[in-house]
Amino acid sequence: MNEVIFQFNQVNRLVLKDITFTLREEDRLIIFGSSGAGKSTLLHLFNRMDDPDYGEVLFHNKRIEQYDIPQLRRSVGLVLQQPHLFPDTVLDNLKFGPSMFDDWEEGRAERLMNYVNLPIDYINKSVDELSGGEKQRVSLARTLANKPDVLLLDEPTSALDDRNIEAIEEDLIKLIEHNRLTVVMITHSMDQAKRIGTKGLYIEEGQVIEYGDLNQLLENPNTDQLKQFLHKS
Amino acid sequence: MERDIPTYSLLLLIVFVMIPFTIAYIYQLGLKKDIIWSTIRGTLQLFLIGLILTYLFDLPPLVGIPIMLSVMILVATFHARKKGKELPYIFITILVGLIGVEIIVLSMWLGFGMISFTPEEVIPMSGMVIGNSMVAMGLALERLKSEFEQNRGKLLAALSLGATPKHAAHMSIKKTLNASLIPNIDQLKTIGLVQLPGMMTGLILGGVAPIIAIKYQLVISISIFSSVSLSAIFISMVMYRFFFNKQMQLLNLQDIKKNG
Repeated sequence: MNEVIFQFNQVNRLVLKDITFTLREEDRLIIFGSSGAGKSTLLHLFNRMDDPDYGEVLFHNKRIEQYDIPQLRRSVGLVLQQPHLFPDTVLDNLKFGPSMFDDWEEGRAERLMNYVNLPIDYINKSVDELSGGEKQRVSLARTLANKPDVLLLDEPTSALDDRNIEAIEEDLIKLIEHNRLTVVMITHSMDQAKRIGTKGLYIEEGQVIEYGDLNQLLENPNTDQLKQFLHKS
Repeated sequence: MERDIPTYSLLLLIVFVMIPFTIAYIYQLGLKKDIIWSTIRGTLQLFLIGLILTYLFDLPPLVGIPIMLSVMILVATFHARKKGKELPYIFITILVGLIGVEIIVLSMWLGFGMISFTPEEVIPMSGMVIGNSMVAMGLALERLKSEFEQNRGKLLAALSLGATPKHAAHMSIKKTLNASLIPNIDQLKTIGLVQLPGMMTGLILGGVAPIIAIKYQLVISISIFSSVSLSAIFISMVMYRFFFNKQMQLLNLQDIKKNG
């Protein structure tokens, strides 16, 4: 069995109540539940964009507060719902993270553009010239530029149309497998969850209702709540 | 030569006030009260200042000047702090900033022999520098808040990529400074072409030769330009930190005061 990478022990924050679970290396955890259930709040605890009020989060068996914050965020990368690209060129965006850690070499841009399936000559394009799908790809590449071990995805395809969603999903799966990334992803689409995830965490009103193997959860839900949720979505 | 405006002429200024008042009345702008009140208040304030200045100008400079400067800086601080009341330490920051700007500008004026240490020269010129710095700080504060509001997503993205607050805020600060400085750059470009600047106008009306008036105007315009830049940079560099907590997390405007 893979090593434990994250451990949440009775974590409380805003709506979240006593969240407890473990995440192992190369797990692909899907967080799902109704809106307002606390999914984004939970996601932000992984890279200290937010902190628990009570409880502890362990990263590689050490309290998460013991890590240098920029370094932690570098190895636990977050892709937001909207691309929120920085001004100027695609290359400026790709270099943003690595340049802070003096860790950029020629050739990385090409590799990153490859991962997200964008033509290499796009790197000198202004981000204003990109389509919505292209922007989200750049946003993904920008996070990957930091060479994270864990990838946090906050509904990364929610702002895209179906054709784009499918294409990005394929690339996402490829690059997750290629880089052996551990993934935590929020999604509203159960089909997407099935395609990408291996584990599932179902939360409602800040509480974990079910947690475990994703296929198991989706095919044999234990609780009426999850049954109803799956029926609706 | 000393000119004076006869009192009866001054009273006829009411005709000028009637113009905006009539417009406000016809178009029901809801400004009638404001127009009357601001006219009365402005008139009283100016006469009061005139009386105080007459008195202060008679005091020895080392007494009169510090008193007047302190009053001006305090009033300016109280006024500018309204623009950043959500932020901690706003009063003291503006106060320190204005005092700093005044000290720098005043020592240059005196050190380079541009003006002499008399209330007649120090007070009106300092007044302009302090007033403009006050406006600049207020504008910079408003701009900084709206930049942080509008660019929340980008700031979150930057932080999540490992940026420190300073690095993440760089863009917002840049835009804030840009917005604060551009009006002054434009003003300096068209100076004397669009309108004769206030100080020069005053000196010429007072009977000073235009070429001397221009020298004073140059001193004051460039001093204002640099003090406005200093004020905007100072307030932005001190205040952006409060938008983040120690854990390098972005705060909401309503949570900032609790945190600071």
